[in-house]
Amino acid sequence: MSEQGILSYLLIAFQPANFISCFIGAMIGTLIGVLPGLGPAAAMALVIPLTLKLGPTAGLIMLAGIYYGSMYGGSTTSILVNVPGEPASVVTTLDGYKMAKKGRAGAALAIAAIGSFIAGTVSVIALQFFAPLLARTALAFGPAEYFALTVLGIVLLSSMTGKSKARSLIMMMTGLILSTVGMDPIGGLERFSFGIETAQGGISFIAITTGLFGIAEVFEVLAAREKPLEILPVKFRELYPNRKELRRSAAPIARGSLLGFLIGLLPGPAATMASFASYGMERSISRHPEEFGNGAIEGVAGPEAANNAASGGAMIPLLSLGLPFTPATAVLLGGMLLHGITPGPFLLRDRPDVFWGVIGSFYLGNAMLLILNLPLVGIFAKLVRVPSRYLMPVILVLCTIGTYGDNSALFDVWVMLAAGVIGYVMRKYGYQPAPLVVGLVLGPVMERSFRQTLIISGGRVESLWESPLCMVMWGIAFLAVLLPIVIPRIKAGLKRDC
Amino acid sequence: MTPRKEISSSLVLVLFSLTFLTYTTRYPLDDWESPGPAVFPLLLGGVLLLLSSWQLIRAVTASKAPIHAKVKGSMMIALKTFFHDNKGEAKVLILTAMLVLYILIMQWIGFFVSTFLLVILSSRLMETKDWLRPTALSLGVCLFCYYLFVGWIKLSLPQGIFF
Repeated sequence: MSEQGILSYLLIAFQPANFISCFIGAMIGTLIGVLPGLGPAAAMALVIPLTLKLGPTAGLIMLAGIYYGSMYGGSTTSILVNVPGEPASVVTTLDGYKMAKKGRAGAALAIAAIGSFIAGTVSVIALQFFAPLLARTALAFGPAEYFALTVLGIVLLSSMTGKSKARSLIMMMTGLILSTVGMDPIGGLERFSFGIETAQGGISFIAITTGLFGIAEVFEVLAAREKPLEILPVKFRELYPNRKELRRSAAPIARGSLLGFLIGLLPGPAATMASFASYGMERSISRHPEEFGNGAIEGVAGPEAANNAASGGAMIPLLSLGLPFTPATAVLLGGMLLHGITPGPFLLRDRPDVFWGVIGSFYLGNAMLLILNLPLVGIFAKLVRVPSRYLMPVILVLCTIGTYGDNSALFDVWVMLAAGVIGYVMRKYGYQPAPLVVGLVLGPVMERSFRQTLIISGGRVESLWESPLCMVMWGIAFLAVLLPIVIPRIKAGLKRDC
Repeated sequence: MTPRKEISSSLVLVLFSLTFLTYTTRYPLDDWESPGPAVFPLLLGGVLLLLSSWQLIRAVTASKAPIHAKVKGSMMIALKTFFHDNKGEAKVLILTAMLVLYILIMQWIGFFVSTFLLVILSSRLMETKDWLRPTALSLGVCLFCYYLFVGWIKLSLPQGIFF
């Protein structure tokens, strides 16, 4: 297709109906992202019936707006109240919330918005130019590669909470175990549901995350003997990042954009994995790794850029292969089918208006979100100063609605409460909830790919690692395990010799 | 984290993984050519058991001396210290009980009536001095949620005998 042709299709997003759809989608997405519990998948599912009246292009632009808008908004509650609006913002709680506690909430929010805008735009440019090539690469992944990728993800992410690798791994294993509740992904046999109808579809991801982060946070605030930190009043201008913070954020945003986009091409919870991977990378290359977890701006800039770039990257397998790799893109796929659009290799040939119209709306939406988010930073930052005795009951209600709204099941609310109590006890005992969430998300992909590999190869276990791509990933995983053990010993040996 | 906490949490994890492994045997394993639904959970349970056992052994071997040193104090002092250190826990227990009650009565008296009560009571538990502000907050939250989730997003929330 000629470049002029592509440009004319990209401009479809600027038509009044599509422009308004993009704006409404981005607004709803930001609102959904801000609200803890109610994730983009649930929000998109609720809005699909309304989009049917708009036609395929405007409808899908609105759904896409909710998708990436929630990535922007998700960071807000992570930074302000330590409650991630959606899973990809879990990692933002580690440093964003600490920054807010130090009175730099506005700076963290602004860096998150700028990073998200840059990464979102970078990913859309890359998506536009490299889609066919990258989609072919993504096609080369078979079940064995998916399995190796999830193992690699678990190994790399085990060091994300810093204090204890063993505890992170234990939490990931617990998350993976929780992911086995419900229908077996290959044979359809019901497992660990104890006859509870709602549990047959698996434990609600929203209920677990809302409980572990939202309810446990309320408990923690309630139990804290010392008063919650009161943020001193600051002028509106001071809410924005200073020069030093901007300088420190530039490289993490660039690295996060690239890393996030590449991870977005891979199956699994791309945005979540990208944010954690970016955090791990920034921490490992930082000259001040001790600042991570205590309010390092790099810990906000990198992951926020990465999760937005990944949400752009994740559109490639969806649009060009028809493969949804995340719950949100799965809902988007459902929306496309309801609109009579079949995503896949033929989408670009048969409906270039939809393909490029949606991509064009990404440019527009990213600009809208930046314009919307930066002026609202002051308003969001003011939320921190709302006394917890008023804020916490509101969080309780929003968590309940978000959890209940996912499946309209009270069982999920019970799960949320149980996860809240367990999450609170876990924190008391030094276990972080974030690795558990990663395990819960990776579980289904890991099990399916593991069993598919064995079935396809006729039970040959070595098929899990014998392809070149698998070897590379297993090799990196082994190095990631061995190097932290070997390097300190070599260093100690060298010191002794000196 | 204290050695006791390390040991007790590891012990809970060991017991959890053992229970999980035992329960997993109810499902078919089949063979490597066509692995059954029990294979993956068994692997996970096994890895969790190994990790938590390793952590338990490390905690036990590393904490022998401090535990004996701490037991020397009188029982009364230990109890006093416990209650002093865990003052906030009573509130957590009360809020948990309130949430249990909230979920139980939600299907009988409806989402909004139960939420109205929850917001007032939880705000009072969090040391709001008067009744007026929690009531106003609760009313505001309920109205906001009603117009946003029921009116706009068309979410169906539990309805009871009142609303």
